[in-house]
Amino acid sequence: MADITEIRHRIKSIRDTHQITKAMELISVAKMRKSMTKQSFSSAYFDSVRYTLKDILRHSTDLRNKYVLPRRDNRTAYVVIAGDKGLAGAFNSNVLGLAWRHMQSRPVHYVVTIGQMARAFFESKQQTVDLEFTHAVANPTLHDARGIMRDLLDLYDRNLMDEIYIVFTRMHSTAEQTPVMVKLLPIEEKDIELDVKSTYTGEICYDPSPAEVLNVLVPQYLIGMIYSALIHSSASEHAARMLAMSNANRNAEKMLDTLDLEYNRLRQSAITSELLDLTSGKFFSENSLRQKANRHGKSW
Amino acid sequence: MANKFFLEIITPEKTFYRGEVESIHIPSVGGACTVLAGHQPMVFATEPGALRITADGKTREAFMSEGFIEVRPDETIAFAQAVEWPEDINERRAAEAKERAEEQMRRNRSAAEYRLNRAALQRAFARLQVKHHKNDAD
Repeated sequence: MADITEIRHRIKSIRDTHQITKAMELISVAKMRKSMTKQSFSSAYFDSVRYTLKDILRHSTDLRNKYVLPRRDNRTAYVVIAGDKGLAGAFNSNVLGLAWRHMQSRPVHYVVTIGQMARAFFESKQQTVDLEFTHAVANPTLHDARGIMRDLLDLYDRNLMDEIYIVFTRMHSTAEQTPVMVKLLPIEEKDIELDVKSTYTGEICYDPSPAEVLNVLVPQYLIGMIYSALIHSSASEHAARMLAMSNANRNAEKMLDTLDLEYNRLRQSAITSELLDLTSGKFFSENSLRQKANRHGKSW
Repeated sequence: MANKFFLEIITPEKTFYRGEVESIHIPSVGGACTVLAGHQPMVFATEPGALRITADGKTREAFMSEGFIEVRPDETIAFAQAVEWPEDINERRAAEAKERAEEQMRRNRSAAEYRLNRAALQRAFARLQVKHHKNDAD
């Protein structure tokens, strides 16, 4: 009979967990949608920044901008973006694994983490984290991206690193997200990917000069790259969590079904055995009464 | 009637303006200048300042932070981190930002910091200027 209370306990705990996962799934859906609309707002802006930058790099060959010129190629900084929380399937481990594998091929590397999970991962690997940003993941804003850009440029200006990579999860659809690595600095024409084609392809003048325009564009470009990486990462995180949670929901429902069945079966068998006890007890007591009466009758 | 051209102003958050205009006056890095219809294809870098848009004979002023303006034969597109109409500018915030920037300017430590502070001061100044122009006009 101890079984039945145990099962009741399990049903209750699974039901509670189910409630939580259900809520988490709904929250993830809402948050994912929110970050995706944000992405669509900002993409028009940053696509044009990328296009103009690429155009300048293509047409002006004599640029001496320090963010464009390549440096010796052995000190690499990694900006790794992961989530603040777990419970999102393989989302965190995928992106962190990619960064970790690439890092092993570099003699000198710096690690900049964005998100709690990224920091925890590198600490567990005995890799010192040089810089961390913790608030930017949950709800990325342009302000966060600007702050990150400023700090990165500062480090780059002090000639501490030769190149900067950003590692994040790119969102293709709600079901598909892949971890990617993109080079931030130095900026090379071939690294700039374009989703839009400009309608005008003739020659364009730059005022006051291509180099000056480039100076304005570089920070904007970096902000755009960082912001879109943050948003992609947060949308991916929510999508991954949504998927993980809907799996958890399905499992919980399945478990509840089998446990309910078992519970009912046990309850039924308990009732049956109780009835059996009652009837057999009654039968016995009636029998013994009759026997007593018979015995008394004889002796009388 | 002046010739018109199509102007779009885009910030990361939203599309600020879309429509036919007669001219725009922009705070370019190389000095303020005005773009009319039929301008040569060009890209201007801009610094924080006042942007004046003339459409249907009426001129409106707006604050524009650092960005760039692309003049193409078919349309003109302005990109900036922030563009605001005077009525959307929070005057107290801008004044506070100005004070903060001035305070920072007094004790800045590096050249990079100086540039940052100067840009912040420039933004605050331009915001206040646009706001006050509007107040004067009312």
